Amino acid sequence: MTLLIFIGSLLGAMAIGVPVAFALMFCGVILMWFMGMFNTQIIAQNMIAGADTFTLLAIPFFILAGELMNSGGLSRRIIDFAIACVGHIRGGLGIVAIMAAIIMASISGSAAADTAALAAILLPMMAKAGYNVPRAGGLIAAGGIIAPVIPPSMAFIVFGVAANVSITQLFMAGIVPGIMMGLSLVVAWLIVVRKDNVQPLPKALMSERLTATGRALWALGMPVIILGGIKAGIMTPTEAAVIAAAYAMFVGMVIYRELKPRDLPRVILQAAKTTSVIMFLVCAALVSAWLITAANIPAEIAGYIEPLIDRPMLLMFVIMVLVLVVGTALDLTPTILILTPVLMPIIKQAGIDPVYFGVMFIMNNCIGLITPPVGVVLNVVSGVGRIPLGKVTAGVWPFLLAQTIVLFLLVLFPDLVLVPARWLH
Amino acid sequence: MQKAIDLFYRFLELLLIVLLSGMAIMVFVNVIMRYGFNSGLNVSEELSRYFFVWLTFIGAVVAFREHGHLGIETLVMFLSRRGRIICMGLANLVIIVCSVIFFWGTWKQFPINASMAAPVTGMSMIWVYGIGLFTGAGMAIIALERLIRLLTGRVTDEEIAAFAGENLTIEQLAERT
Amino acid sequence: EFNDRNIRISNGINADHPVGNGIKAMQACLDEKSGGKLKITAFWGGALGGDLQATQALRSGVQEGVVTSSSPLVGIIPALGVFDLPFLFGTPQEAYTVLDGKFGDMMNEKLAAAGLVNLAYWENGFRNLSNSVRPVTKWEDFSGMKVRVMQNNIFLDTFQNLGANATPMAFGEVFSALETNAIDAQENPYVTIDTSKFFEVQKYITETNHAYTPFLLLFSKAIFDTYTPEEQAALRECAVVGRDEERKVIQDLNQKSLAKIKDAGLAVNTLSPEEQVRIREKSMIVYDKHKAEIGADVVDAILAELAAIRK
Ligand code: NA
Ligand code: NA
Repeated sequence: MTLLIFIGSLLGAMAIGVPVAFALMFCGVILMWFMGMFNTQIIAQNMIAGADTFTLLAIPFFILAGELMNSGGLSRRIIDFAIACVGHIRGGLGIVAIMAAIIMASISGSAAADTAALAAILLPMMAKAGYNVPRAGGLIAAGGIIAPVIPPSMAFIVFGVAANVSITQLFMAGIVPGIMMGLSLVVAWLIVVRKDNVQPLPKALMSERLTATGRALWALGMPVIILGGIKAGIMTPTEAAVIAAAYAMFVGMVIYRELKPRDLPRVILQAAKTTSVIMFLVCAALVSAWLITAANIPAEIAGYIEPLIDRPMLLMFVIMVLVLVVGTALDLTPTILILTPVLMPIIKQAGIDPVYFGVMFIMNNCIGLITPPVGVVLNVVSGVGRIPLGKVTAGVWPFLLAQTIVLFLLVLFPDLVLVPARWLH
Repeated sequence: MQKAIDLFYRFLELLLIVLLSGMAIMVFVNVIMRYGFNSGLNVSEELSRYFFVWLTFIGAVVAFREHGHLGIETLVMFLSRRGRIICMGLANLVIIVCSVIFFWGTWKQFPINASMAAPVTGMSMIWVYGIGLFTGAGMAIIALERLIRLLTGRVTDEEIAAFAGENLTIEQLAERT
Repeated sequence: EFNDRNIRISNGINADHPVGNGIKAMQACLDEKSGGKLKITAFWGGALGGDLQATQALRSGVQEGVVTSSSPLVGIIPALGVFDLPFLFGTPQEAYTVLDGKFGDMMNEKLAAAGLVNLAYWENGFRNLSNSVRPVTKWEDFSGMKVRVMQNNIFLDTFQNLGANATPMAFGEVFSALETNAIDAQENPYVTIDTSKFFEVQKYITETNHAYTPFLLLFSKAIFDTYTPEEQAALRECAVVGRDEERKVIQDLNQKSLAKIKDAGLAVNTLSPEEQVRIREKSMIVYDKHKAEIGADVVDAILAELAAIRK
């Protein structure tokens, strides 16, 4: 019954257009009223305590690093580098998009920001070269959603804090599945682009390649710093994030000279606003999480899925289908925040590795960013590329399918996530 | 009046820039000190966390004014203008209820937080937890003003479009992932 | 006179910690006394927030109970810092006598003034030092060692005074920091060193017993005051039943954990009695530095009581 009250008040509030953060607070209010423990202090205290966490400080710093990466010309260098490497092969610009998406994913944690940068630079080139534009847009959208799976990742930080799972371990475990998502895109792209008659770019000269590599080297150094620092245990994710932001600022201002001191306030303000929106949501979710826990809702759900507890793979399958359905309508961060406190106790009870679950859960939520009707990353491509949303949606499906296949492959073979994760950690 | 309000928000934006820069500098300096000089400032771990709390809850008000908090507009999108206005009114009512509860709860907890000192700086925790008063009041006022304009028919078409999730900027979309 | 009550008690530790045994014993006692009307629901692993957050929830009457170390609460009740003072208690027996006696009551009054009813002092236990550099048997061995400590000024000063490089760090980051030698050492009770697997990435362990941290079983005063006298009495008595069980289990477990750590190949050292005295004397500077903020009356009272016991 409490479960119904929880779902009903949350969905009801969201349906009439209440922002998700307030809907979460509202369902918290309804829950405590229903449980006969109405106390305004529960809301106030949990809201603020949610933000008072050192680990979450990584979020604004990674956002800032991503903003600086785009404003400082790092994205541009990465794409030039990818063109020099693989631009000449058949379907080359598509492969360029995937390669650049993976490299940018290892610097930034935001799917929308990466997609916007990729779409702004690559879509006009691909249109000019004669590629099917909606399909190219679909590919870029599907490439953009790799960002939160490959570290750094705001999604992993939010999940790690909500589920009490090591963020370093989540980061390391995300690398291989993220690359697999990219490889599945290469396969899908080569299949769909087969019949197209597109002239590949001329092969870059060795000297051109070296120049592009040299220019990109500073940008390529960033993933090394972030991952190397965390992996070596020299830095916590929060410290790595601030180093990444400082590095991106240095490269953008001093090396590439595209970032001017007068741009800084604008970039910092944008990062601050994005941070507030995400964090306010996190705080509101911790209010509802506290009440979900106090109301023993996970136990209620565990009762319903009792028969699946002994069959972890089937349980994973059912949860993944559920998350996929939720993801059609809900964005990444809200889904993580709403479902984590509900699902985590069940995952633990079933003996599923929390890091494995975290990677699968985030990957699934990322796929939700390109599923209609609410697919934020599709909106980004449609907005930046000036392509109607319906056409981008039509163009994305082969890639959506490929990534969904990867997801369910990993349900069948958890070792594909777990073994490299152990090796990398 | 409008000028004063705009000026106030410019000030808040300036504050956000100062807070985020301050956090970054404190954490950065601490990394350098810890690994370069084998020492660290314990104050900066604590203070950067408090800057983060202020950033979150001041920024949340600024973002709310700009319709920045993400919602699910799937259903509202399909409604007529009239339907949208009704939903907008209800939604603002829910927001007012939540904000007032946030404010009220912070108020009731005032003595409890005022009597707690931060472990390193020794600062009274009401400076941190008291931010709920600002955020709760700020959001309630914004939502109330919107509600009054809705009821008196002075709401603009742009606002209704923003409520239904139309014309989102790339920055606003970025906040959703 | 008993009513149906759902008593939510939260913990930062996991259900398999001896506190779990204590809660079970307490529930059994409550069942008997109240005819099953007083029910405890325990929330483990910080599911209802951290210790400090939960304690604040108690003070606002939002949540009934919490089992917490004294250390995180010094921001609310500075006098609790007394338990963080280095080398205060020599044996568990000393700690029990002081905590369950007059001094414990004195602290309970301070807690009550902050809106917290302390039902009983449970045990977190003596903290010991593990490291990956060298055997620690005397004062000088601490020199230059990078030791992770809690975010707590007394612990920081204690280890800085010993010549170590005290580094505050979140608990969740300790394992990988030890593994990669970002830090050399950490200090915790044996049970924690065992359950958090710190021993897997350490070479030496020394029974320093440098601090004894009690667990407080706190109850919200705002809620407690609404209970009937019979309910209040039952809670107090059963908290003591739980306490005795928890202390027994944690003592056993400490020995088991130590044996496990030994089996894993760690060199186990102790401080000689002379060295203990020497370190304790050298640490008195930390007492002096923090005496004013803890409260001179509190520090003097516990030292007087300990002197009386040791006579
Ligand atoms: Na990333
Ligand atoms: Na979707």
